[in-house]
Order: sequence, then C-alpha cells, then structure tokens
Amino acid sequence: MIDKMRDIAEGIVGQLRHRSVDYGDARVENTDLESLTFRKQRLAESDFQAGQGVGIRVLVNRCWGFASCSGFDSDEVEKTVDRAVSVARAGAGVMEGSVSLSEEIPSTGHYDGPCERNPFDIPRSEKLDLLARAADIMHTSPLINMSWSNLKFERKRKAFSNTEGTLVSSDLVFSMPTIMAYAVLGDDMQNRGFQEGARIAGWEWIEQADMIFWAEKCREEAIMKVKAPEGPSGVMDLILDGTHLSLTMHESVGHPTESDRVLGWEASMAGRTFLNIDDQEKLKYGSEIVNFVADNTMPYGLASWGWDDDGVPCQKWYTIKDGIFQQFGSVRETALLVNRKQSTGCCRAMDFASFPINRQPNFYLEPGKKQVTPDDLISEVDKGVYIEGRGSFSIDQRRINFQFGGDMFWEIKNGRKVQPLKKVIYRSKTRDFWGSCDGIADDRSFKTMGLLTCGKGEPMQAARMTHGASTSRFRNIEVGRGAE
Amino acid sequence: MTREELMEVIEAVLEKAEVPDVVATLTEQRDAAVRFGQNRITQNMDTFERKLRITLGDGERESVYSTHRIDIDVVPEILSKAMDMLKTASPDPEYMPPVPAGQVYPIIDAWDSMTAEADPVGRTEAAARAINTAKKNGMEASGLVGMTYENTAIGTSTGNLAHHRSTEAYMRLTLDRGKPSSFRLLSAEAWNDLPVDDAIREVAAEVEADEDQRELEPGEYRLIFEPQAVVDLIPFIAWSMNARHADEGLTVFSGKQGESVTGSNFTMTSEVNGFLKGTPFNGEGLASNDAVWIDGGRLVNQPCTRYWAQQTGREPLFIPGTLAIEGDSGSTGDLVSNVKGRALLFRRFWYIRFVDQKELSLTGMTRDGVFLVEDGKVVHPVEDFRWNWKPLDLFSRIEKLGAPERKGQLSVPPMIIGPTVL
Repeated sequence: MIDKMRDIAEGIVGQLRHRSVDYGDARVENTDLESLTFRKQRLAESDFQAGQGVGIRVLVNRCWGFASCSGFDSDEVEKTVDRAVSVARAGAGVMEGSVSLSEEIPSTGHYDGPCERNPFDIPRSEKLDLLARAADIMHTSPLINMSWSNLKFERKRKAFSNTEGTLVSSDLVFSMPTIMAYAVLGDDMQNRGFQEGARIAGWEWIEQADMIFWAEKCREEAIMKVKAPEGPSGVMDLILDGTHLSLTMHESVGHPTESDRVLGWEASMAGRTFLNIDDQEKLKYGSEIVNFVADNTMPYGLASWGWDDDGVPCQKWYTIKDGIFQQFGSVRETALLVNRKQSTGCCRAMDFASFPINRQPNFYLEPGKKQVTPDDLISEVDKGVYIEGRGSFSIDQRRINFQFGGDMFWEIKNGRKVQPLKKVIYRSKTRDFWGSCDGIADDRSFKTMGLLTCGKGEPMQAARMTHGASTSRFRNIEVGRGAE
Repeated sequence: MTREELMEVIEAVLEKAEVPDVVATLTEQRDAAVRFGQNRITQNMDTFERKLRITLGDGERESVYSTHRIDIDVVPEILSKAMDMLKTASPDPEYMPPVPAGQVYPIIDAWDSMTAEADPVGRTEAAARAINTAKKNGMEASGLVGMTYENTAIGTSTGNLAHHRSTEAYMRLTLDRGKPSSFRLLSAEAWNDLPVDDAIREVAAEVEADEDQRELEPGEYRLIFEPQAVVDLIPFIAWSMNARHADEGLTVFSGKQGESVTGSNFTMTSEVNGFLKGTPFNGEGLASNDAVWIDGGRLVNQPCTRYWAQQTGREPLFIPGTLAIEGDSGSTGDLVSNVKGRALLFRRFWYIRFVDQKELSLTGMTRDGVFLVEDGKVVHPVEDFRWNWKPLDLFSRIEKLGAPERKGQLSVPPMIIGPTVL
C-alpha cells in the first residue's frame, strides 16, 4: 500500500512540474478507523471507516491553491490537480501573493510509528470482551446511572512528495481507550474518566492502560464525588497532577506559542496570542523552574509523525527555558515571518481533505531534577486543593484569562489530603499562573495525556498531540465553587 | 453524481446485502473557501469528498461500515467487509430494525446551482474587499468566505428511498485594530443573497466604536444580547434536551417534561422547510418533522431516539438541522434605545464550556464587543471579561425580544435580560 501511495504522490508532483507552479506538494492518505463503544453494558456502536484520498497544494505567484478528492481514482486525481492550480491562479489574479517558504533540505525516507501488536489483528471478540467487562464493573453499583467504554484504533498511512524533491511516507497506528462513569444521587450527577487518552502505539497501550483497573477506579471515584462536599472558595494553593496540567499547558502555553496566532491568521476563529514576535528569548513566562520542551520525536507522542505536512522532519526544542519564552512553533510559511530561518515542523492537516496549518507540537513540562514526590509538595500546603484529570476549561482568545475544573479533587489541609471534593474550579492569568509554580515533582510522577480533538482553523480541523507533566504546585490561586 | 447515479449505488447495496436490515447513505460534499488573516489570503481551497455509509443488521446485531471507494463494481467487496463487522458484533438488547416503509419526506428546496458551481474568483474577490477595507482603515481582516454543497441519497431495506441536496454560502468576518474588534457571520442558500459589502462596512464601523475600552465596573446591569450572542448559548440547551439523558438523571431537564424551564416569553422550535432549511431525513432515514421544544417557557418535547421512544411511549423526534427562537419586533439598536438604566450590550461569546452539566451552568468569555449602555445610549466599550452563567436562568428573565435574524442554521432574536449582578 505504502509503495502505491508513494507512486501516486510522485505522479501528482510530476504533473505539477508540468503546470508551471512555483511549488507543489501532494499528500496521499489511507486511513482505517475502528471504533467500538459500549453505552452502559450494551454495544452501542460498532463502526469501521475505510478512508482514502489525496490533498494537493500549489503556489502560483506566491498564492496558495489547494484541492482534494476522496479515493485514488487516477481521473479524479488529475481533475484535482487542475482544481488546485486553477484555485491558485484565481487567487493570484485577484490579490498579490505573499507566501514565502523557509528553505528546508529535501527529505526522503519512511517512518513506522511504534506498534508492537497491530490492534487490527486483535480479534474483535477480545476487544468486545474487554469493553463488556469494564462496563459490567462500572455498573456493579446502582449509583452508576450511565457509562461509556470505547476503544478507538486508527491506522494512518501517508505519502508526501513535493516539487523540491521530498518524498517521505509514514505508517502510524493510534490507539485510544475511553472509560467514563456517571454517578447520580439526588439532584446531582458527577462523572470520572480515564485521563491518559491516545498514543501512537498498538494493542500494548490498551493492555498497559488497564481498563479494568480504571473501570473500578472510575466507579468508586464517581460515587465518591457525587457524595462529596463542594469545594472551598478563596485564594489557596493547588497541586495539579500531570493529566490535569496537560490541558492547562495545552491552552495556556501550547496555543499562545503558535506562530500563526501571533501573525493574526487565527484572529477570526481560534484567536490571537498575548505574545509578540520580539518576545522570543526575552519574555518571562513562568518561574525559573518552568521549562517546556516541545518534542515531535517523543515516543508514543501523537504528533510524532516522522515528518510534518510540509515534509519537514519532526524536531525537539525548548518553548520555555528557565521561565523565559524561547520561540514559536512554526511551519515553512510562518518561520520567516517570526524571524526564524527554518520551520520547527508544526504543519499538520486533519486529513487529506484539509489544508495543513500550524499546530501544537507534543510538549511537556520538564520534571524537577531533585527527588520530590507529590506527597512532598502536598506536605508544604496549609490550605489547598489537589486536582487530577481534565474537566471544564475555558480561556480568552488572547490566551490570558482562564478557568479550569478537573476530574477528581481532594481538599488539602495542613499538609495532608483530607477529603474528596466536587465542583472545584480555579481562575488565573497565564503568566501569573506559571509564575506561581514553586514545585515540580521528579519524573516518577510524570504522566502524559494524548489528545485527538484539538480544534482550530476554519473550516475547523481536529488535531492530535501529546502533553505531559509531573505533579506540580502553584501558590495563591483563586479557587471557586461550581459556577460561582 | 446525479440523483440517478447516487440511487443506483444505493439500490445495488440494498439488493446485494445478505442480511434483512440495511440502511445505505451516499453523500457527496464539496467545500470551496478562501481563508484570510493579517490582511492576506492564507488558504484557497476546493475540497471534494464522496462517502458511502452502510448499516447492516441481522435482527440482533448491528454494525456500520463507511468507505470512500464508490463504485458499483466494488459493492460486493464493500458488503463483504461490512458483513465481517456485523458477524463479530455483540447482540444488541436495544436493536431496532430500519425505519418502517412509507416515510413521507418533505421536499426542501435548498439548492442554488450558481452557488454549487461558483468559480473561485467571486469568493476571492469578497475576501479581497474585506482586506482592502481593513487596510484603508488601519485594521486587520480575518475570516473565511466560501460555499459548500451536499448531495445525499439514502435507502432502507424497508423500502424507503430519498434524495436531498443543499447549498450554503457563508462568510465569517473579523476586523480588528488590536483590542477593538467586531465580527459577523453571514449565511444563505445562495451566494448572491450574502450581503458581503454591507457586512464589511458595518463591521468596520463597529471596530471604530470599540476603541477606548474600559474595565467593567462591578454592579448590576441589564444584559442586551445581539443575535450572535444568543446563538452561542443555544447549542448547550439543545444538547442537554436529549430525552434519554434527562430520564437517566444526567441533565438539567431530568423530570422537567411539561414543566417551566424558562420564562414564558421563550419559545424554541425547529422547522424543516421555512425561513430555515433543514434536512428531510436523519441518518436512519426517519422523516423530519417540525417540532416545538420549549413552548412559552414549558419543555414540551425532547429529542428522542426510536428505541427510547418505544420504551417511554413518546414519538421519536430529532432536531432536523435547524433551531429557531421566537422573537418580537425591532433590531438590536431598537432594544438598546429602549432600555432604561444601566445595561451591557454583548456582540458574541467565546470558548463556552459546561462548568456543571447537570446544572447546565456555563463559563465563557465575551468577544468582539461589549458596550456600556445608559438610558438607551451606548456610552463606551468595555474590556472583555469572563462570565459564569446558567442560560436557563438568563432566559427566565427576558424583558424584551427583537426580530429574529438568521445565523447559520439558527434563527434568533436579540434580547434584553433583566438586571444581573456582574
């Protein structure tokens, strides 16, 4: 399959070379997606999608044209080449073009993502049995009124070629388990779910994630939550675990450091950023212990694709070093505009039918270098809340003013976790929040969260990436109760 | 593909399938759009996708198979793969056969040929006009302008066959000058019905009016929502209305069927073929119907699957692609000029999320224009701020409604909400 797809990509680029375009590239994709969902103790969805298609991007007089078609039919593909060129020419006829791509060394090669056991080779009966057992465990309590258990597997094979000589391909398998239990008591409902999300990995990730353990944990903690008192309000300290911080980081560090936002290209949709281009290597973003590493070579990371959709190799760099903002994640089109010579390889499209845009890389908060456990961090808190997992989340379009909930909450008093809580939210401003970080546990508490649904762009595209952190402490944050 | 070509594939699937229960859907979708930002065109696209979706059932089990491979000759191969999925599925205690024969599908004229066949020049020129206006006024333009069409055929093994096609032209436009900004969403079935130039001119004027923002002073204000602000809140209500979720105690509407959930001047409906054009069928092939969801503040109907309808003695109901909030008369400007005392005018909201699903409590930010209004006059713009509200509480305190406007597939009026502490 990959060889055929590489041939199609090369064939398209050959056609583009005869159309007098300044630049052209072709993405050829074949995607198998299997999704099995239990709603309560019943298989509610058994879905398989076999997708394939081609996306073609060209530059004419520094104006983009993009066209796509589903399937690999050669006549359709040729018409799609025509449409891409004609769209670019129409644009060039109306407005002066402005696109300048960074110079990159052409790449050739193939990348296989880590996958020890291909989930498409696992008998479906084994998958359904696992889901059924997880659902049964959640519903052993009558307080669990609803649950979701899901297994999602995607095998994405891609070939990319461009008129500069790049010809690369990849074969990636994404696996994601989901567990969510809903407890209802009186007029209240609280839920608890598995938090680590997806990985580029095979069935081994499903085994490692241990859905049976999580089914029990989610049942017990959903019940604990629905019976728990509401959280306190006021200014206090927060201890946040890696699966919770992953979302806070995503919203308050990942998005503001995207180059297309500082240029205003997302102003109408996802929004801008509070950062300026000349803040690179200067602006204090957080306390001195805060280091964020962007890493599209990270094992199992959902953005570790070998090459991005510009054909640029995946890379690793500091977004924030010793609390200072270092550089934006960029694509070939934005790199020069944010004063960088080369792209960081952050160009990704949702699928063959989407124009590739600047996306967040995988990135993580570097664990503390000293031997510190989450309990050590908690022991130095007089009044606070410990939060695990993701909950409600909202941030303004310039990525300053945010409010987050969580999935599980514990009250901290005099250095100890004393009782579970529910309906806790906290509010802060991005640089105040990261500036208040005074403790990061070592790598023994490091956890990752793989996200498949980061929405951005118009038309909206869902992107995937992985974030990670060790449990960390934040001082003097405004905490509220529910919608107060 | 023509209607006949689509139907030929659907009928081949229905004929060759080796199980009693089959639903097949074939959809073509084209989306052609120009994206712009920083006063430059950043994307110019023309995408096309054709997808076949087959649901097979044997009376006990069900599975779904979708593919981009569309060819009569490969239907047996596709069905063989779909059968593999079905054979390994577990028995479904909630199994429902395909919808009964005799579905009467409304005929909805939502197609404009000129829009479906539009070349890229018109939309590129529209983007260029927005950019040029922005440059002339020291602003930046960003947004998306384009058209989309869908061409869908569906068939069920119980004998229903239907076809529907629709076009939509749209523009999402933001103009800003740093903090001052404004936004407009335009949509219509036909490109020629989009008031692009009026919108560009109005939005530029609104940016001028958004200069010199001041921080919000805490206190009590009436809230004036422009239609876009109402649109931003409605999906959370619609999502929460699901009958089964309510019956299972998961949403704010649990046990509320027939009871008051908002003020008596709030009515929410869906229309299939009126001012808004819905879809004639859902993914199962069930015929669409007009529906009243909240009538004068009372929850009278909830979206309900066929299975849950059978279990609870309801009629199956779904939102047919449109939602409408009844209004009265007058524009947002009329509401502003009639408001007494102190009020805030909101253009739209951003990043709204549930804080508590069971309470239907939401958080979000203001965006693209908040204005202090005093005794019917706009005094000055206000800086964006975070809010935590319950929309059913807001809609229980509506003091006045204006005339509805179309915003995408919603029709909503501007409104004044009674005094609220901020």
